[in-house]
Amino acid sequence: MAQRYQGPLEQLDENRWRIPRTSRPGMQVDGVIYASQQLIGDVLDGGGPLQVANVAMLPGIVGASLAMPDIHWGYGFCIGGVAATDVESGGVVCPGGVGYDINCGVRLLRSDIEADEVRPRIGELVDRLFEEIPAGVGVGGSLRLRRKELRRVLREGAPALLERELALPEDIERTESGGCLEDADPDAVSDNALARGADQCGTLGSGNHFVEVQLVEQVFDDEAARVMGLQQGRIAVMIHSGSRGLGHQVCQDHLRALQSTVRKLGYNLPDRQLVCAPASSEQGRRYLAAMRAAANFAWCNRQVLATLTRRTLESFFGQSSAALGLRQVYDVAHNIAKLETHEVDGRQRRLLVHRKGATRAFAPGHPELPELYRAVGQPVLIPGDMGRASYVLVGTEQAMAQTFGSTCHGAGRVLSRKAAVARAKSRRIAAELARQGIVARAHSRESLAEEQPAAYKDVDQVIDCVVSSGLSRKVARLRPLGVIKG
Amino acid sequence: MDGQCTTFDHTADVGLDARADSLEQLLTALADGLRRVIHQPDGVDPRQTRTLQLEADEIETLTVDLLWQLMDLIQVELFLIASVEVQVAQLSGACRLEARVAGEPYDAGRHVFNTEIKAVTYHLLQVRQDEQGVWRGRVILDL
Repeated sequence: MAQRYQGPLEQLDENRWRIPRTSRPGMQVDGVIYASQQLIGDVLDGGGPLQVANVAMLPGIVGASLAMPDIHWGYGFCIGGVAATDVESGGVVCPGGVGYDINCGVRLLRSDIEADEVRPRIGELVDRLFEEIPAGVGVGGSLRLRRKELRRVLREGAPALLERELALPEDIERTESGGCLEDADPDAVSDNALARGADQCGTLGSGNHFVEVQLVEQVFDDEAARVMGLQQGRIAVMIHSGSRGLGHQVCQDHLRALQSTVRKLGYNLPDRQLVCAPASSEQGRRYLAAMRAAANFAWCNRQVLATLTRRTLESFFGQSSAALGLRQVYDVAHNIAKLETHEVDGRQRRLLVHRKGATRAFAPGHPELPELYRAVGQPVLIPGDMGRASYVLVGTEQAMAQTFGSTCHGAGRVLSRKAAVARAKSRRIAAELARQGIVARAHSRESLAEEQPAAYKDVDQVIDCVVSSGLSRKVARLRPLGVIKG
Repeated sequence: MDGQCTTFDHTADVGLDARADSLEQLLTALADGLRRVIHQPDGVDPRQTRTLQLEADEIETLTVDLLWQLMDLIQVELFLIASVEVQVAQLSGACRLEARVAGEPYDAGRHVFNTEIKAVTYHLLQVRQDEQGVWRGRVILDL
């Protein structure tokens, strides 16, 4: 579908490519893509650069329309895109710049469990997780929230789960934004969205969402790994999910309402998925209030998934979480728009930073980081594919200076789902993974084929690019041992 | 020609591409394409009927509305679809449609889900009649 990008592109340095603002009418700023020589071919073939140029047309965008090296063609925004708008100067909020899965993100738990102890029983452990963690189409969770309780979750986020004993204070401290965005308003969320959320808190969903048992294979930064509790040879568990149907519906409600608004505002946008409104307008504020509510729901969803994971491991090993050393490392959002202060043209400005398939990567010393991570920088959790690796990184000053404190969010797809299924025909992906020592279980028949390792860029190359660009530093490489998917 | 719908590749997602002699047939074909993405069509009997009435200020938004409602019917209400019949009334400044959806509640013993759809998007959305009078529709689904 996507056609190779043929437009103007200038190489700025080893890892940066510029689409000049003069290359297409309507661009307010340059586009800047982070990609190494190894990756740029796939980036151009994927057609994402055209979308980087389209995003550069958003009213009030500042700096540049950015793309991380895991960039691929999305809908409206490219995946891997970062765009900051100046709220005080009429800058817009763009629901498509957050996406349908509001606050899709990643959580990592560390443990003292030795990988050697788990390997002989990994199939059994994955089966147990597969039984305990709700996933797949139309499957509800064990936590049914009445309307009043759901509204509280939307307003308060993960801390609302403390008194239900579904969260520990430490989990909240070790979650981006403390698991709660302020100014979330459940009244801005439609009845339809609330209905979809009522039984979906604590459900994985399908697509690329997963719970994965991983081995800490290699540590690159001893001090950061020590602070995070990551030790070579031990087990970690990574959880990837988002705001489920509630978030999807919030996005749709506001995209639909904005279709006619942009005509009234006289915005000339190249894609209907890029509809937007000034962030300070009534409609902009209403979307942000609903988006924050959906983001809070997503944090609760991952919190419940983490609790289910903990309880499953406790029962499987017959030991408490404390005895297993099972503790949260961090939780990051990679589809979100947040108000942040950044320096642009030598001046501190209040910006709305859209990260669509990009991860916040704040530098050491940033006041928004929990005290534990203030000295080492924000943990950045990067899921790779289920056959290769995932990474833990930390944010840097360079990211603050160049990318509004952002980095990549994953490996980035190279094969469409259909192409991946076609390539998997007559192959047994689960058996192939098993030969590599990885146990995979999925609810849907096509899920493993769609998510096979060959469907993604090589995560090592993506990580090398953000590291050599200075956007992040490597802390640890995690290798999959077992995975459950929707 | 009855409406025809095929799927096409889109990196993380899947697209529906349909053509038909009439707008009604086109929407019916897109609806059929959507249900085939979410669930296997085999073994879904038209035991019950649901009626949807929708209105929008132009046909492309109305198309997204229809597919979104059908997606909800399947994924939220777990009502699997055997067939969809669409009637469209185009009025000045607005479009209305009525869709009669035949199907039955999901039965784990007989029905198979393929995948969950997150959304029916507006990206590259197209619903129009070409110079030869053929209706063409393109919709991208976020998986």
